Amino acid sequence: MSKLYDLKVLIENKIKADGLDAVAVKGKIGLRSGRMLAFISPDTPDEPAAVAKLRQAAKEVLNINA
Amino acid sequence: MKWNLIRTKVLAALLACLVVGVGGILALTSYSFSRNSQALAVESVSGAQKLFTILEAREISKMTSVSEALVANPQVRDAFVARDRPRLLEFTAPLYSKLKSEGITNWMFHTPEPDMAVFLRLHAPAKFGDRLDRFLDKEVVRTHAMVAGNELAKAGFAVRILRPVNDAHGSVAGYVEFGEELGQFIHAMKSQTGDDYGLLLSKKFVDKQFWADSNAQWKRRDNWNDNPDFVVADNTTATGNIIKFQGDLASTPAEGKVLERIHDGDSVYVRGIFPIRDASGNTVGAMFVVRDISSVYQAMRHTRNVLVLLIVVSLSLGMALVLMLLNSLVFRRLQHIIAIATCVVGGDYESEIPSGADDEVGQLEQLFEQFRRVFVHLLSCIPELQEK
Repeated sequence: MSKLYDLKVLIENKIKADGLDAVAVKGKIGLRSGRMLAFISPDTPDEPAAVAKLRQAAKEVLNINA
Repeated sequence: MKWNLIRTKVLAALLACLVVGVGGILALTSYSFSRNSQALAVESVSGAQKLFTILEAREISKMTSVSEALVANPQVRDAFVARDRPRLLEFTAPLYSKLKSEGITNWMFHTPEPDMAVFLRLHAPAKFGDRLDRFLDKEVVRTHAMVAGNELAKAGFAVRILRPVNDAHGSVAGYVEFGEELGQFIHAMKSQTGDDYGLLLSKKFVDKQFWADSNAQWKRRDNWNDNPDFVVADNTTATGNIIKFQGDLASTPAEGKVLERIHDGDSVYVRGIFPIRDASGNTVGAMFVVRDISSVYQAMRHTRNVLVLLIVVSLSLGMALVLMLLNSLVFRRLQHIIAIATCVVGGDYESEIPSGADDEVGQLEQLFEQFRRVFVHLLSCIPELQEK
């Protein structure tokens, strides 16, 4: 599995755990990282820049360090 | 507060307008008050000068009439020609008490030239025989006709007339003089205008010892040392606080001069001064004019406060209205567009952006909604997303 997918799972778990509005939070992270989470699958190839952006967005929106 | 927000910038601009508006009103009312007070001061000085001239002319006219009646009286004339002082006093004393109540304070008979000594002083009968040697004395001797004008004696400033008294053959037997203290004028002027006045005399023309004696006689405080260059002969105010002058009386322009405005407690005064010349043309004194403009000042301040309140209230209401309109017409709708865009990216493809208005933001909403539909249609074509 890719790092991007791992991050996506981490984000979805955090949303579930905190009972947040999944659409709104995923939308914010998607806009900040420039990538829709729906497009990230286990086969999505890792691009270092994309991973860094998603990680940064997750930190800003959900305050998680991945 | 975030300075990058349009709301903050608009609010700052409106607050700046408020400050400029209030500052403008304050500056305008202050300027207006200065202009008005200056105009009032100019009007006070010129009005006082005119009134003084009128009173002076009126008193000269009165003394002229009295003197004409007097020299036509054979009993008085004969007693004077005969140099019979007791008889002259007997005929004139009753009249003097009446004239005194009308303001004529000085009445003298003078012997003819070359002596021209005082033969009888109705206001001080025991004192006679002295020579005054004043400008008007010389003028009446030179012209042998009536002369009039202001003359400053050792202890007082009076408007005087002198005229020859002829004997039965038409020769000059002496002179009669009437005078009225100028200090009395200021009280008449105050009763007519309500302004306060002070009569200032240059020390160059007043004898210090005579001034002290005169003050002692009238039971007045000796104010010789109050001012360096002049003495206040009389004033209409209870205190001399508002009569302050640092300049040289002799350099006061003929049309008068407006002095600085002063505040004394809650009262505001405008002040001015105009010169008073004697018969020879010397500036021997000046009239100090003080007008209380407290009521004008209060009215102006009230108007200023009302204007400031009006501006603050109207601009505050304007600010609230502008912010409310911006909020409902722009900011809230922009936030809605942002929320919908975020939801679409987050996976909610059904949320639509409603557009009810055909304004600028409405056009943006329509564009965004069209863009959203294109985007959702594009996503529907991606197989990965179909499964989810």
